Amino acid sequence: MGKIVSIHSFRGGTGKSNTTANLASQAALRGKRVGVVDTDIQSPGIHVLFGLDEKKMGKTLNDYLHGKCTISEVAFSVGDFVARDDQIKGRSQLAGTSLWLFPSSINGKEISEILRHGYDVNLLNTGLQTLMKELKLDYLFIDTHPGLNEETLLSVAISDVLVVILRPDNQDFQGTSVTVDIARSLDVPNLLLMVNKAVPNKYDYDDLKAQVEARFKATLAGILPLNFDIADNASRDLFSLSNPDHPWSKGLIGVAEAILAIK
Amino acid sequence: MPGVFDRLQIKIADKQTEGGITALDLADLPPALRKIMRLMLRELEMNYSRLCEAMDAVPEADRLSRADLDYALTTLSEQAWLIRIGEKEKAIYKTNMRRKAGSTLMDGIWSNLNDKLNK
Repeated sequence: MGKIVSIHSFRGGTGKSNTTANLASQAALRGKRVGVVDTDIQSPGIHVLFGLDEKKMGKTLNDYLHGKCTISEVAFSVGDFVARDDQIKGRSQLAGTSLWLFPSSINGKEISEILRHGYDVNLLNTGLQTLMKELKLDYLFIDTHPGLNEETLLSVAISDVLVVILRPDNQDFQGTSVTVDIARSLDVPNLLLMVNKAVPNKYDYDDLKAQVEARFKATLAGILPLNFDIADNASRDLFSLSNPDHPWSKGLIGVAEAILAIK
Repeated sequence: MPGVFDRLQIKIADKQTEGGITALDLADLPPALRKIMRLMLRELEMNYSRLCEAMDAVPEADRLSRADLDYALTTLSEQAWLIRIGEKEKAIYKTNMRRKAGSTLMDGIWSNLNDKLNK
């Protein structure tokens, strides 16, 4: 059975979608069959990193939750799309890989429909488990909404691996305690932490790692620096693929390898 | 005339409207039941013998006896946290997650928003 990897942060702006897209891409580049689901239905965004916009977007998770299509019809093959249409430096390396994106709708009316009427959580879970089986996925990465809501809690409850992203910021530290407590109470088998946006030259990384691990009693898989190059990339490309030797990318690849090493 | 499968699906759908468990409720379950519920969420449905096998794989300290497992399954089914189709050894169980509630904002607000989005 493949592994479900949820990427979560208690607060917004931690780089969750960017991290999820890069982790999934690194796994796909290593020959794994990978799915990426955007369960951030209220504020979807990960599709941008894979070069998908509203015009190219076909069926979405919203269509599936409204009973308008099967979960398989939502699958957007990144490997095929990149091979056919995409000349972006980093992303083009994904041509021919087994990587599928399951996007949420960026249509305002469809987002408001979900917010207004809710949805069947059983159907969401059935969809996730079905695509794992039908596509024979090795890994399903779930990009979640920050904070805690139904989608997030479900993704935590069904995860084999939970990666919690935090910044070295007191608000993030407090919020992460909540997430870690919930993950533990739901028996998530593998919990990894990742610090993102650490101001360069401010921290001794060994000290920071020791502090974070002592506070949350979990493994810190990587510390990734705050960097203008990432901001300048502006979600146009998958940064760890276009700049593999960059310190941020090296940190990200370390986290990817930590996930793939989990048996 | 609907077949057996269709009738079962209708039966499941009817039961699913009756409530359900949230992920936070899972956190309050005894460890052995939580482990089984997590497994059922991944498997989507399990029959009684698979449930017994899964319970046998739970560490001894957390393991439930057959009688306690049967009692727990009955209780969870009565609360509509599990959906049971069939009886005793032939039963099939599915988890029943509570529907995500819609907004409690007044309808007028949503209608206005829809009108604006339609323009």
